[in-house]
Amino acid sequence: MTQSKYDPITLEIIQNSLQATADEMFAAMRKTAMSSIIYEVLDMGTGIMDGKGNLASSGAGIPAFIGVLDKAVAVLIKKFDQPGDIEPGDVFATNDPYYGGVTHLNDIIVAMPVFVGDKIIAWTANIAHNSDVGGMAPGSLSGDATEIFQEGLRLPAIKIISKGRPIQSVMDIITVNSRMPDVLKGDLWAAISSTRIGVKRLLELSAKYGVDTFEYAMVSFMDFGEKVSRTEMAHLPKGVFELSEEQDDGRIFNVKITITDDDFTVDLRDNPDQTNSPVNTSRDGVMVAAQMIFKSLTDPYSPCNEGSFRPINLLTREGSVFHAQEPAPIGFYYEIELRVYDLIWRCLAQVMPERLAAGHFASVCGTFIGGIHPDTGRQYTIIEPQIGGWGASISRDGNNAMFCGFHGETYNCPAEINEARNGLIVDRMELNMEAGGEGKYTGGRGIRMDYRLRGDDGFLTAGYTRSKIPAWPADGGAEGSSNYIEVIRTDGSAETYAFVSGLTTNKDDIIRVVTGNGGGFGDPKDRDPEAIRQDIRNGFISPERAKQVYGYVK
Amino acid sequence: MSDKSIRVATDVGGTFTDLVCFETDLTSGESVIITAKTDTTPPNFEQGVLNVLAKGNVDPATIDFLAHGTTVVINSLTERKGAKVGLITTLGFRDTLEIARGNRPDFFNLHYEKPEPFVPRYLRKELPGRMSYQGEEMTALDLSGLKEILDGFKQEKVEAVAICYLHSYANPDHELRTLAEVAKLWPEVAVVSSHQITREWREYERTSTTVLSAYVQPSAERYLQRLDAGLKAKGFKGSPYIMQSNCGVDSLESVSKIPITMVESGPASGFWGAAELGKQIGEANVLALDIGGTTAKCSLIENGQISIMTDYWIERDRTSAGYPIMVPVVDLVEIGNGGGSIAWVDDFKKLHVGPQSSGAVPGPAAYGKGGHEATSTDANLWLGRINKDYFCGGAISADMQAAKKSLAAIGEKLGVDVDEAARGIIRIANNNMVNALKLISLNRGFDPRDFTMVAFGGGGAMHAVALAQELGVKKVIIPAGAAVFSAWGMMMSDLRRDYFVTHLVDLIPSAAEEIEHVFATSENEAYERFEAEGVARSKVKFERYGKFRYQNQEHTTEVLLAQGEVTSDRLAEIEASFHDTYEREYTYRLDAPVEMVGIHLVASAEVGKLKMTETEAAGTSVKIALKSQREVDYALEGKHMADIYDGDLLESGMTFSGPAIVEDAGTTVVVHPGNQVKIDGYGNLHISF
Repeated sequence: MTQSKYDPITLEIIQNSLQATADEMFAAMRKTAMSSIIYEVLDMGTGIMDGKGNLASSGAGIPAFIGVLDKAVAVLIKKFDQPGDIEPGDVFATNDPYYGGVTHLNDIIVAMPVFVGDKIIAWTANIAHNSDVGGMAPGSLSGDATEIFQEGLRLPAIKIISKGRPIQSVMDIITVNSRMPDVLKGDLWAAISSTRIGVKRLLELSAKYGVDTFEYAMVSFMDFGEKVSRTEMAHLPKGVFELSEEQDDGRIFNVKITITDDDFTVDLRDNPDQTNSPVNTSRDGVMVAAQMIFKSLTDPYSPCNEGSFRPINLLTREGSVFHAQEPAPIGFYYEIELRVYDLIWRCLAQVMPERLAAGHFASVCGTFIGGIHPDTGRQYTIIEPQIGGWGASISRDGNNAMFCGFHGETYNCPAEINEARNGLIVDRMELNMEAGGEGKYTGGRGIRMDYRLRGDDGFLTAGYTRSKIPAWPADGGAEGSSNYIEVIRTDGSAETYAFVSGLTTNKDDIIRVVTGNGGGFGDPKDRDPEAIRQDIRNGFISPERAKQVYGYVK
Repeated sequence: MSDKSIRVATDVGGTFTDLVCFETDLTSGESVIITAKTDTTPPNFEQGVLNVLAKGNVDPATIDFLAHGTTVVINSLTERKGAKVGLITTLGFRDTLEIARGNRPDFFNLHYEKPEPFVPRYLRKELPGRMSYQGEEMTALDLSGLKEILDGFKQEKVEAVAICYLHSYANPDHELRTLAEVAKLWPEVAVVSSHQITREWREYERTSTTVLSAYVQPSAERYLQRLDAGLKAKGFKGSPYIMQSNCGVDSLESVSKIPITMVESGPASGFWGAAELGKQIGEANVLALDIGGTTAKCSLIENGQISIMTDYWIERDRTSAGYPIMVPVVDLVEIGNGGGSIAWVDDFKKLHVGPQSSGAVPGPAAYGKGGHEATSTDANLWLGRINKDYFCGGAISADMQAAKKSLAAIGEKLGVDVDEAARGIIRIANNNMVNALKLISLNRGFDPRDFTMVAFGGGGAMHAVALAQELGVKKVIIPAGAAVFSAWGMMMSDLRRDYFVTHLVDLIPSAAEEIEHVFATSENEAYERFEAEGVARSKVKFERYGKFRYQNQEHTTEVLLAQGEVTSDRLAEIEASFHDTYEREYTYRLDAPVEMVGIHLVASAEVGKLKMTETEAAGTSVKIALKSQREVDYALEGKHMADIYDGDLLESGMTFSGPAIVEDAGTTVVVHPGNQVKIDGYGNLHISF
């Protein structure tokens, strides 16, 4: 309906080009990064903001990073508000959730303004997980942290490049604080180069079509995003929906969601206080969780920008686990963000089963394994999320072995590369055959993966949720199975963990990663006998158990 | 017949089987081109080939060289018409094929469906035995369970066996021994192991490649045998050369063993043709663009070199992770934008073109076959870019009423008139294609100003100038016979094999010997294979590429090494060219250690190319080719009265300027206002701006 002086086809072309630019920034960064968590796991994101810091276009990657960059740029604009504070060629960085960093200190956001004359017409930015930013533990994440100061070097929205020249003293401080300085430096430069490529493209675009048209194209793109969301919102059931859920650590999390014709309100005020364990999140982080599920509910396919999220109204309480205050540690914020995401999902699944499947393994299952590579003598650090089972839906079985809702176009590490790069052995990597997730439609399978270590004096750090309380079922299905990690020592003894920090490992110890099966959907007695026959044939269930669970007799 | 050379390219597609025959007079050097088209004849595809030869009046007994391209491999994959496959893999890894990489490209979609594995779990079996990443045996191979596995496969009516073990790229011994044992226990079954296809790491990708190769093997083998026998029965004395995805051709015998290498052979020949054409006319840097009915494909050629990669997937897009096939495939970007791409307006009044296509039936609205949806072709017709009185070379009478109606429907939704709707479709389609062209050029650090665009396929010439001007390339070349350009490319192909071998080593002077050894081993393997097929050593040419990265990185940058042995004093030069290549692509370089991850060796041998002769300018006036004038709408540049030229009458040395349109039976060239056109000695159109 844009009846304006702007040609709609030109606007469309500019908008397509914004998407193409964000994707190009993503591809450039992926190819040049040095940490496997960036180039393989793709724990990164790129985006383009308008001059005011509103998200205009987002690149590929993981859903959890889509709504992060605008929040950082907004803080930069507020902080650098004097004439001359921001100049062409400047590049900024922040990693601190109390300074627009949203997530945790490992994630460095790099942002660069796009100048035409004296005017900032846009920003390009990216975020990526850096392997080590200092702090009390290798990899910077530790379940033992009680304050953010222990979680690494804090970059409180600062300038790192001035008019195209790196501020060497700042760069030196950043690198010297890392246990892996070369890797950090490589990743940081990959990020800088990605924002520069974006700036170049946006300048070409605005030169071609004019600044005025360029800026209007961004405005109308965001309006379009809002229109898409509101159109689909009209089809959502209206009302007030509530859910309380117990967590692995005994805390009870509560959510109240109110959907009206105009608003999607997520009320999280009634929740526990923040703790001095790193299982808190910033309010921005919770906002990202709400945005993710909202986007999936309204329109998963159209572009994602500031407009898409306008109907969301988030209520939090300062000082609570979902709105942590300095200096609360936030290292494992992502598990908390996931808990909120899953909480909203579960709350709404009751009233919109055709849109939302049963629960999935719903944990990043962040696993950190380090030591000395026995062949090269170099330090290695594995930092990886795990893949697990997804929930069954109203019409089909859940997917096996995929990354959780927090991640997206993320890749696991091949055993062949793992063994070469990290000098350990992957003894097995197979689907999890534990019980759980049965139903008319069954939950997808998690995995079981065994790492056998080749050297002494290594470490293991991990933080898994949904370890005590597995993926939730729907409509009479069975609950899934749990996420956990097991360490099997050479004497045959085994230890089981959900959260563990800096555990010492030795040669021939086996670290077994087990991720949960997703929740089942519908009464198991209603499962199609042919599907059960295939389950048995494929070894997913024994004939005895099939009889017991499904009442199936061949 | 010795004064003539007869060279034939046949191409079996899903619907049609095509023939292009170049009959060259060896004294004058002039070629007569014969084309013919018949229906594809599944499952006896060779019959279609014989039919099309008969239709074109080409006697197989007189053919000197026959190149053959086919889509049977890709079709059998996408239509799921392959063999029942059983997989044998390393203990602990039977689920690798199903776990895949865990990614969800469609990440906000909570109803994503993971691609179904080609081999169900009950047909995926494990055997003990383990190699290390360095190729050393850690656990001995235990074949005692093999017989039981194969008996089970027989019972389940498995038709092909795939074998893929961990780290077999580093040491194939366990795979070789398993292969031998399978041959002994079950000699008649089709069997393939991963190292025969690829020597690169990543077990999921390699397993998927092996499984898909086994999946197409029985039918492809049968197809090739019948083709050979059918041609021989009709008197053909040679053996057909089969088009490969790496832009080369390979012997029938060799392809029968690993047919998966044909998977993307369709577009490969056109891109090879563009590289060869570039060499012929002195344009080493080419952006090649092929616009067909449903898609547009593009590829970049630098310094006369096409780029070959092994990260290829089928059925992979924004909504699916697809299936990887790790074989050498020309590096191309493909988008769903062709002549038949459907224009549509979404609920938010946004105009889109493609990726849905109207196909051959019903086709664009203007075909008058009941298609109601506007396509790029309808827009081109409406704007006068395509001649409505010479639609498809006069074969179809254009239904302009239907075209108008379809465009008006788009215009109504957008709130614009028919003209504006048609212009919008052209502009959106062009923008989609420009973004694809940027992916292969600008995004990789290439400056389009250093490149010439070579455009072919049914729609290439129609959009080329607009795209080229937007990108800022030097000029546009429309090859003579642009519509049959791929066939021409097939006849210019060499016998070619690409060897990719993973071998991780630090790039330090002491590693030179090791690196040289990796190249030399592959070169020897290539020599042996060529010699076994009767190709002399002296005819084999090698190109050596190294795949390098900064330590700790994952992605590699491929660098062409200068001819000659890799010695310790040459490593500094090799490292320097890596830094340069890297910086061009990514804007910075690092002072970090460099490592080599593997090699890419190209082994090729000429099998006798079509010789082209240049025609002198006769000085004939271009006026003889001028048919008429008509109003043409150039979208952004508005309406102009354009000169219409008959493409068949254009001769060497003729020049003219735009606005103009050049038409022949298969191609329409849109020449924009201000463009200069010159015909070269081979009949190619050079368009400069």
